[in-house]
Amino acid sequence: MTGIGAAPTLGAPADDGVRSVPARAKARSVLGYWRLYLAISPFYLLFLCFGLIPVGFSLYLSFHRWDGLGSMEYAGLSQYRYLLSDAQFWNSLTNTLIIWAIATLPMLFIALVTAVMLNSAVRFKNFYRFAYFLPNVTSVVAVAIIFTSIFSTNFGLANAVLQGLGLDQVAWLNTDWGIKISIAVLMTWQWTGYNALIFLAGLQTIPSELYEAARVDGAGPVHTFFRITVPMMRPIILFTLVVSTVTGLQSFTEPQVLLANTNNTSTFAGGPGNSGQTMVLYFFQQSFDNNDFGYGAAIAWGIFLVVAIFSIVNWRLVQRGEK
Amino acid sequence: MPLSRRALLYAGLATTATAALGGTTAGCSVPNGSTGRNMTLWYWTGGLSDKVVADAKKRFTDVSLKPAQIGGYFKSKLLTTMTGRAYVPDITGLKGEDMASYLPNAEQFIDLRTLGAEQLKDRYLPWKWAEGIAPDGSMIGFPIDTGPVAHYFMPEVFDRAGLPTDPAEVGKEMDTWEKYLAAGERLKKKVRGAHMVIDALTIYQYMIAQGTLRYVDAERRFIGDHEHVRRAWNMAIDAYQRGLCSRYQSGTPDGNAAIENGLLPSQIGASWVAGDLKLTVPKTKGKWRVAALPGGPANNGGSFLAITKSCRKPELAFEIVTWLLNADNQTRGFTDATLFPSTPASYQQAAMRAPDPFFGGQATIDVFGPTAEKIPIAYHSPYDYPLDQAVSDELRNVNALGKDPRRAWKDAMAKCRRIADHLGVLT
Repeated sequence: MTGIGAAPTLGAPADDGVRSVPARAKARSVLGYWRLYLAISPFYLLFLCFGLIPVGFSLYLSFHRWDGLGSMEYAGLSQYRYLLSDAQFWNSLTNTLIIWAIATLPMLFIALVTAVMLNSAVRFKNFYRFAYFLPNVTSVVAVAIIFTSIFSTNFGLANAVLQGLGLDQVAWLNTDWGIKISIAVLMTWQWTGYNALIFLAGLQTIPSELYEAARVDGAGPVHTFFRITVPMMRPIILFTLVVSTVTGLQSFTEPQVLLANTNNTSTFAGGPGNSGQTMVLYFFQQSFDNNDFGYGAAIAWGIFLVVAIFSIVNWRLVQRGEK
Repeated sequence: MPLSRRALLYAGLATTATAALGGTTAGCSVPNGSTGRNMTLWYWTGGLSDKVVADAKKRFTDVSLKPAQIGGYFKSKLLTTMTGRAYVPDITGLKGEDMASYLPNAEQFIDLRTLGAEQLKDRYLPWKWAEGIAPDGSMIGFPIDTGPVAHYFMPEVFDRAGLPTDPAEVGKEMDTWEKYLAAGERLKKKVRGAHMVIDALTIYQYMIAQGTLRYVDAERRFIGDHEHVRRAWNMAIDAYQRGLCSRYQSGTPDGNAAIENGLLPSQIGASWVAGDLKLTVPKTKGKWRVAALPGGPANNGGSFLAITKSCRKPELAFEIVTWLLNADNQTRGFTDATLFPSTPASYQQAAMRAPDPFFGGQATIDVFGPTAEKIPIAYHSPYDYPLDQAVSDELRNVNALGKDPRRAWKDAMAKCRRIADHLGVLT
């Protein structure tokens, strides 16, 4: 999922070169390079099999009614019409955006601060890097089970801390905002280290003269951070924002495992009030739980549209930054 | 000939290309089902007794029986394989809760009546047998286990509340939901922090399960606003408003701790809940007893074996299925994997009558056996599941979020009508 952000930029320069060559010469050059095309073909063949064909099929499916086993029945645009008027879908969209916002923004900030600290760490450098990356490679399912305990009402660590501070207990996994915050905290914990490492790589490209000049001018660490580090890191921050958007809008495992035990009929319902039901969870519930594959496909295309809109907005932001 | 680097590269490319081409052509001849002498059997972990399956492998030597425990989401893996028409298993397990969604596609399975299933009918529970039969009358599912529902309770806590403690007495004095809730009032008054029911949904679900109708009838009409649903809803809301429902969630650390501390001394659940209790709250060993369910017998869970159309030797497959699921082997299934038999003959066998130390030496079969035999034959529609979600989720909103019950009922019905309409159910 994280690799998606980088792919479009790779194709762009090659495309420009080919466009200016006349058509016949272009055909010849394509044939002339057949060995190279053959060499890269495994990726495209696999993509065709496991990417493009299922995508095309899901579009076809979204115009049908299908229980997954019997015959398909043409349904025209009715699945999409139902989608537009489906309060639960809009609820899942809102949930996804809220969870994404309260997870991503603090996460990127913490990651940047962590990266700056890692960059200036003198001892145990590699140990810290490893330690911060560890949450990202840990199984989400295992993590979510631990977080279920942390956020449990009576015996959870989160409430123990609150009570230690003299505050009231919060029924984390049983209230609207509690559920959203719990999911966001889990995602933050898991992705901060990953983003910190990307930031770290970016930090190392900032010339040290800038920092030296700032120090000579008498700037403190906070000032340096906001006046030099953040502006210089802009393209990298935007990159992590794009990647987090793509990942965040497709969150599935975190809410699924965290809320699997909330007495729901379906483990994909996202807890009381469907407060933790993300778009992908809803898609999964409709297709694989309710056997409504046609509608599931329509939801998937709805998700695609939302992700596409966000990607375009992000891309516009990146472009403006480079001009 | 000296081998240049370029020649080596081209040789490598050619090999890759051949392999890729070979892969695509081989793709066209993927077998529909099993191959050679093999006969494949799909089930899930704990779906059949592994020992019985191992014996079947030794016993049926005309084929080589290949059992496979399919992990993950079983239904979706089976659907994928059957829709892809590749490597479809000869014999497969079908989970009880998914049964209603397989029945409309009965043509994908072999009608077991054509293999002589009718002769065995009187050896199995009639309601369970009926659940394996499709609307067109063909039989696709052969009964594995069932899930008779009972009332698990802690006599020690009931005693403190002045409630009966003997299983027979509990069953008699709490034979209706009204009496059960009245007992809940006493418990609430006498034992601090204790609740009779974990949540309102439990009452609703089992009251629905006790009936013969769900949300859609055989004529594909929506009946989710009828008396049987209203009655269950109102009873659940009543329990909630009287403060008899806890806000714990089953399976969470909080919920398990509450059970262990005797704050949830009454658990309504199927026969397999015994296994869950033994696993999650082992410290309560000996503190539980089992009584009959208030309001009459109900079922929750239990599954089937089916033979797919891809099976090349249906007669033999049927022989294997009926052997795996005869009364003696179902008794072994109970001992090995707590699969409650669908064969009443098993209930008399010594292995099932053995006293269970977790239940203070009670022979729980005295409760589960008669329950299983008295479960009514119900109609299950493939549309019940999404409609039930809409109602149950609203009830949960009342219990967990404090939503106004009248509003919740209205919302539930509005959602149901929308979903029913979308699925082509008449409203």
